[in-house]
Amino acid sequence: MGVRKEAGTLGAGDTAALQQAFARAYQIRDERGYAYFAGLHGLPLPSYCAHNTRLFLPWHRAYLYFFERALQDLVPAANLTWWDWTTGRSRTEGLPAAFRRSAARVNSNPLAAGPVPLSAEDLRRLRADPANRGALSAGPAPWTLRDPDDPAELPRAATIARALAAPTFDDLSTLLEGVHSSVHGWVGGAMTLISVAAYDPVFWAHHAMIDRIWSLWQNAGRGAPLPPELLGRPLPPFPVTVRDMLDPARLGYGYAVEVAG
Amino acid sequence: MAGFADTTTDPVRQTRTSAIAYPGTGDFSRADLVFTGVRHAGGSYEVRVFLNNPGATVDTGRDAGDGYAGRFHVFGHGGCFGDLGHCDVPGASDDPGDLRPPHQLTPLTTYLTVTGPLSRLLAGGTALATVTMLAVSLPPRRADRAPGLDLFVFDHIDLRIYRTPGATPP
Repeated sequence: MGVRKEAGTLGAGDTAALQQAFARAYQIRDERGYAYFAGLHGLPLPSYCAHNTRLFLPWHRAYLYFFERALQDLVPAANLTWWDWTTGRSRTEGLPAAFRRSAARVNSNPLAAGPVPLSAEDLRRLRADPANRGALSAGPAPWTLRDPDDPAELPRAATIARALAAPTFDDLSTLLEGVHSSVHGWVGGAMTLISVAAYDPVFWAHHAMIDRIWSLWQNAGRGAPLPPELLGRPLPPFPVTVRDMLDPARLGYGYAVEVAG
Repeated sequence: MAGFADTTTDPVRQTRTSAIAYPGTGDFSRADLVFTGVRHAGGSYEVRVFLNNPGATVDTGRDAGDGYAGRFHVFGHGGCFGDLGHCDVPGASDDPGDLRPPHQLTPLTTYLTVTGPLSRLLAGGTALATVTMLAVSLPPRRADRAPGLDLFVFDHIDLRIYRTPGATPP
């Protein structure tokens, strides 16, 4: 079973496997590659992501699942990692070290930025709005940019505790989506726009944290089960329904706080 | 329930204020400000909410003394990338045979839990009279952030009070 570890606790081997998988995925332009998966969230159209609906959590769980499987086809040891933005380290240092730019003048860390191989027309439309300046680097083959905020502005553990006490799935989903949106805004750059957010590698670590909180809520058993009418809903383009996404263990992954040995 | 059209705007402070009166005593277990019909087609933004402080500005502190009740965030699409009409949201279908999912830009519903701030206000002997909303853009570059009246458009706002038997009031 794959173990997703917290980004601040990754060993050198974990980080190297993830870096290698992302770097290889960047080179693949078909449906096994990074551009395909990042594009499902926004550009190029059609966009499939479920935001502001009751499918927010299950759709993104499926998204992470299929992307992680694609990474593991390239590098079997690669597991997604979750960025716990509530830790003292995050609220002091901000982005996890594994996702920061390398110290060299030219970044060599594939987790610090992702390529955005959009069509010239998509890039033109995105750049036509001055409000989108700073999302992508210049030129016909841009990369994602960031402009992180003050680390102290990241969500607090108390907010997550409130989410975990949510009495219903809908309550949890709405609250978590708001927290999720705040972190997108905190990272800045491409992450602030649904259209290109998933091209930034930290997107996946951020969403793994959201998925983990849902998983914790499920494990705690405090909340009411998902509304029955949701269970059969498909999660396109993935060949699964909400029901298929309820149990991370059945999907072959789990969230570890500590791993020894 | 107060409608968007009923809000008063302050173009200098870039705020929008809704008259929501609640003279309760604070004997509740939870209080939520619920916003329906929230638009999210443009850029991302945050909304700071103040109770009984229509004079709040972008520089107002985020603390209880200034009536600050919390903030919520909306993740925006950043514009329309389709052809003409692509981002026009159709009305809700009443056709049971229409299995298509809702348009992605269908306005959303969200809430801000204000249990603590509202309780403290009422405990001080003051009834709730106004809710002031200050929207600040969250564009890719931090330097471009700015408050804006047009950022946050919604249909309605209301205050929902819950009393759960046995629950301890805040």
